[in-house]
Amino acid sequence: MTTTQNIIETRGLGKSFGQRAAVIDLNLTVPQGSAFGFLGHNGAGKTTLIRMLLGLTEPDAGTMRISGRPVPQDRAAVLARVGAIVEEPHFHGHLTGRENLRVVAAARGPQAIGRIDGALRRVGMSDRADDRVRTYSQGMRQRLGVARCLLADPALLILDEPMNGLDPGGILEFRTMIADLTGEGRTVFLSSHLLDEVEKTCEYAAVIDRGRLVAQGPISELLHDDRVELDIDCDDASTALDLLDGHPSVTAAHQTPGGLRVTVTAAEVAASINSRLVAAGLSVFRLEPVRESLEQRFLEITSRVGGQS
Amino acid sequence: MTIAQQMFSAEVLKLRRNRGLLAFAFLLTIGIVALYFAYGAIRHGGDPSQYGPVGGVGGFGRAVHMLGLYFGALAAILIGTEAGTADLSSGVFRDLVTTGRSRWALYAARVPAAIVVTLVFTLAAFLLGTAAAFVFADGQPTPDATLILQSFGWIVLANAVVAALAVGVGSLTGSRGLTLTAVIGWQTIFSQLVLNAPSLGSARDGLLSASLGQLMPVTGGIPFVMGTGVTVVVLAAWAVVPTVVGAWRTRTRDA
Repeated sequence: MTTTQNIIETRGLGKSFGQRAAVIDLNLTVPQGSAFGFLGHNGAGKTTLIRMLLGLTEPDAGTMRISGRPVPQDRAAVLARVGAIVEEPHFHGHLTGRENLRVVAAARGPQAIGRIDGALRRVGMSDRADDRVRTYSQGMRQRLGVARCLLADPALLILDEPMNGLDPGGILEFRTMIADLTGEGRTVFLSSHLLDEVEKTCEYAAVIDRGRLVAQGPISELLHDDRVELDIDCDDASTALDLLDGHPSVTAAHQTPGGLRVTVTAAEVAASINSRLVAAGLSVFRLEPVRESLEQRFLEITSRVGGQS
Repeated sequence: MTIAQQMFSAEVLKLRRNRGLLAFAFLLTIGIVALYFAYGAIRHGGDPSQYGPVGGVGGFGRAVHMLGLYFGALAAILIGTEAGTADLSSGVFRDLVTTGRSRWALYAARVPAAIVVTLVFTLAAFLLGTAAAFVFADGQPTPDATLILQSFGWIVLANAVVAALAVGVGSLTGSRGLTLTAVIGWQTIFSQLVLNAPSLGSARDGLLSASLGQLMPVTGGIPFVMGTGVTVVVLAAWAVVPTVVGAWRTRTRDA
């Protein structure tokens, strides 16, 4: 069922190249107005999905809807409000940045031509807009690619590895820009291998592995694990280990270079563990829940799937 | 301005900002005509008894011949090839497709843009050649208005068809090098060899150069005669078939 809250919905989507299945039975849901990270190893099927969404290649099976409309059937109307960078932005090197935008704006219509200056300003390229693109750095090309997306006044931006080639300052600006765009109600669909950046930039994510969608949802839920672990730093780790060995809520404990890592049944157990250590005369310097990163979670998910196959 | 006009304008922009392309087109059209008349004038001035005047009807005819079948055609091939392959070779084709604009529309803008840019050069060269035919006539008969108009129309036709042919082949192959090699090789080398091989008989009628040569209003066309119907059909086929094939490939190509 299509809901207006989801800007992208795919059902049973499949695509093969010869004998090789690139995308298998893919059911993806992207909430409207969100920053959505699409994660996967190289060759996992990320770009194939993007190419199908944009009508660059036809799926072999399944259905896709963007903004509630079926694609490729309503492709022209849908893509009129979609801006996309696939793989990397390409330009005519002998034209200036502004002229390159004019070429694409011409295909989009008169309103798009009126948006050229604003788009250049927004990505900080006004000063270099009249230089030939062949003189641009990779980072400047990425920015110009985003400016080209903005010509559509997009409800949805599909960006494939948009942070490639950006320096740390550029990445920070890019993160801010994505937050601004979603703040305006636009959806940003971000395919990236920079997991740390996706974690910082996106509220939702999906993980694709060998063509199959293996996880999707809010990043906070993706990171949630049934296991609760605590890192404990105290003045006598081996004594602490003996003390916690008999604790009813501790299911596992081992020493680490920084102290102890303890697996417990619930996060609330931290207080009683702390009391027991302090009562035994130990000095506890640090006691905090272990927060799993998206990168760790991604590697866990994809290696688990890889192990099953 | 309509979207079609905007797209045409964008295609012209891509071509006219390509300095290398324009320099070659200039040399092959205006440059060649200027060189031809300058060289002929110097030679005639140096030894009038040995070398006749470069202007007049004769010089005009040779300039028209060069522009229609050789150097003007080369410029048309360069420009048409660039128009047909530029989006593909730069990777911008994908970005244009993702605008949602139909691929037919993307292709349709390339053909008139290539023709217009080609004609800017060949017609400027034609005007130069016409003026030179009068300036350097030195008592020889000069072309009349009818011949000038017929020649003008023929050059427009010849260069437009060749430019469209190059756009079509370029859009088919997607490769600048392959298209230039194929179309230049076919149009300026292979066709000329076949035209001058009487043993091939009416098989020669199928060449684009044969139908253009048949319609050429000045002397020096083809060494055989074609029927009007065949000429028109062959010319139409060369104008339409590569264009349709290029459009089909643009529509079906994996972006």
